[in-house]
Amino acid sequence: MTLVAPSGDTAPPAVHSPWPGLIRGTFATAACLAALAAMMIDLKMAPETLLSGSSKLGRFIASMVPPSDGGDSLRILRSLAETFAMAVAGTALAIVAALPLGLLGAKTVVSNGLLHFLFRRCLDIFRGVPALVWALIFISAFGLGPFAGVVALAFADIPNLAKLFAETLENCDRGPVEGARASGVSKILEIRFGLVPQVAPVLASQCLYYLESNFRHAAVLGIVGAGGIGFELDERIRIFAFDQVAYIVLLYMLCVAALDFVSRQLRARLA
Amino acid sequence: MSAGPNSVVETFELARRRALRRQWLQSGLGLLVFSLILGVSFQRSQLFSSEIGGDPLGRIGEFLVRMTPSLQGEVLFESRSTPGSLASWYYDLPVWLAAIWQTIEMAIIATVLGSLGAVVASLLCASNLMPWRPVRFIVRRSLEVTRTMPDLVLALILVAAFGVGPLPGVITLSISTMGGLGKLFAEINEEVDPRQLEALDAAGAGTLNKIRYGVFPQVLPAYASYGLLRLEGNLAAAGALGIVGAGGIGLELQRAITYTEYNTYLAILILMVSMIFLIDLLSETIRHRLIRLDEGGQ
Repeated sequence: MTLVAPSGDTAPPAVHSPWPGLIRGTFATAACLAALAAMMIDLKMAPETLLSGSSKLGRFIASMVPPSDGGDSLRILRSLAETFAMAVAGTALAIVAALPLGLLGAKTVVSNGLLHFLFRRCLDIFRGVPALVWALIFISAFGLGPFAGVVALAFADIPNLAKLFAETLENCDRGPVEGARASGVSKILEIRFGLVPQVAPVLASQCLYYLESNFRHAAVLGIVGAGGIGFELDERIRIFAFDQVAYIVLLYMLCVAALDFVSRQLRARLA
Repeated sequence: MSAGPNSVVETFELARRRALRRQWLQSGLGLLVFSLILGVSFQRSQLFSSEIGGDPLGRIGEFLVRMTPSLQGEVLFESRSTPGSLASWYYDLPVWLAAIWQTIEMAIIATVLGSLGAVVASLLCASNLMPWRPVRFIVRRSLEVTRTMPDLVLALILVAAFGVGPLPGVITLSISTMGGLGKLFAEINEEVDPRQLEALDAAGAGTLNKIRYGVFPQVLPAYASYGLLRLEGNLAAAGALGIVGAGGIGLELQRAITYTEYNTYLAILILMVSMIFLIDLLSETIRHRLIRLDEGGQ
């Protein structure tokens, strides 16, 4: 890309022999490929397993058409609704917990640099734990059922939402707050008229986004026993009823698309 | 029509009051619907039901206490057989480290394979590179489908087909990586500077040469940066996939949970989190260097 010499007396790179660069590039590529191949061998990704698995997979896919509800469509719909309920409840819990944490994490509220750094790192660490892992843990604590799923969703979202809230608070414009203060109102009114109108729409749209993502996660949590549509899916995959699996997955995708649409409309109105 | 100042004020006040009332009504209705949904959701998800004994916060607290190991200061560095030492808490460390490495390998292979697929798919659905509309449409829709399909469901089906092990996990992650990155890459491709493509057109270059010399030099840094970002996500996902039998540290976590070894949950969780944390740091450094290279090269 750079064809211009950086300083006066060195020749432009294009004039140099291309061989050293080419050789280095070839070596680097070969090393990367070798490392990748070694990893694949280490994971026992042999072509014959791939082939035998593929033929099985082909049979599964062939048995997916035509999708059928297996005479249980009411139950499937009910568990879809339960999944949605889990997502709503989990998001609500996460928001309630994340609001104070977000306040604590904002540099404009807690101005101590060390405290701020430690708090943010702490959130970062918990952000690494996926919802599924939380779900496993809470299922063994609370037993099977949607409750464990709700708590797991909330736990997975709290650090993310807290970080987003903190950043929103940090990025808000100080002008309106100062304006409200200049008019001599109390601290609460200052927040009510200076800060809230700025951050509320942003926070609300972030929450909606998390509701969407939680609906996707909630569907998966059922597989480990946290209720909802995932449980039905897991059951049917285990008995190789792939026509019903296809039915549920299609229905689920429709629901995801519908929720995305509604939430996009709401977010567009908020913005 | 008495156009006095009073009547103007009155009409304004009336309109204002009406607007305010409508606003109150709207927000009241919204609040009602919202709280209804919330109430039903909490009820349906048994959050405060007596079946599980109520008091959810207390139970979470109790569980967290049960997860913490009872380490004792004086025997902290004793051998495995002494209860209360670090070694007895992390009693299976070599196996877990091997599983962690397997998870990392899964994430790396899946990211590489998925990105390769995404590059091809993104070239096929970028409006400035692919002249045929139907192809673009089909590729875009299929990427969307792979994005909506939950990872774990795919993993379950693939585990049923390929058997327990890392292979189904790698395939699952590759497919979802392809779906996620394909869309991003296509957007990057569409924002390529058209002048370089025109120059290559003028020089009589074919499509492949146009992509090689006109598109790739512009987009590769962005590709790499998104790919690394995806690697971080895949690592967390690979950890989770093990739970349904797709290899890696998730399998170990699943085993610990089957035997209800509460202390081991925390031990494996700490390992997982530190793995994700380290890789995040590493990839962040690389991404920042890439961005700097990108800016320096312009």
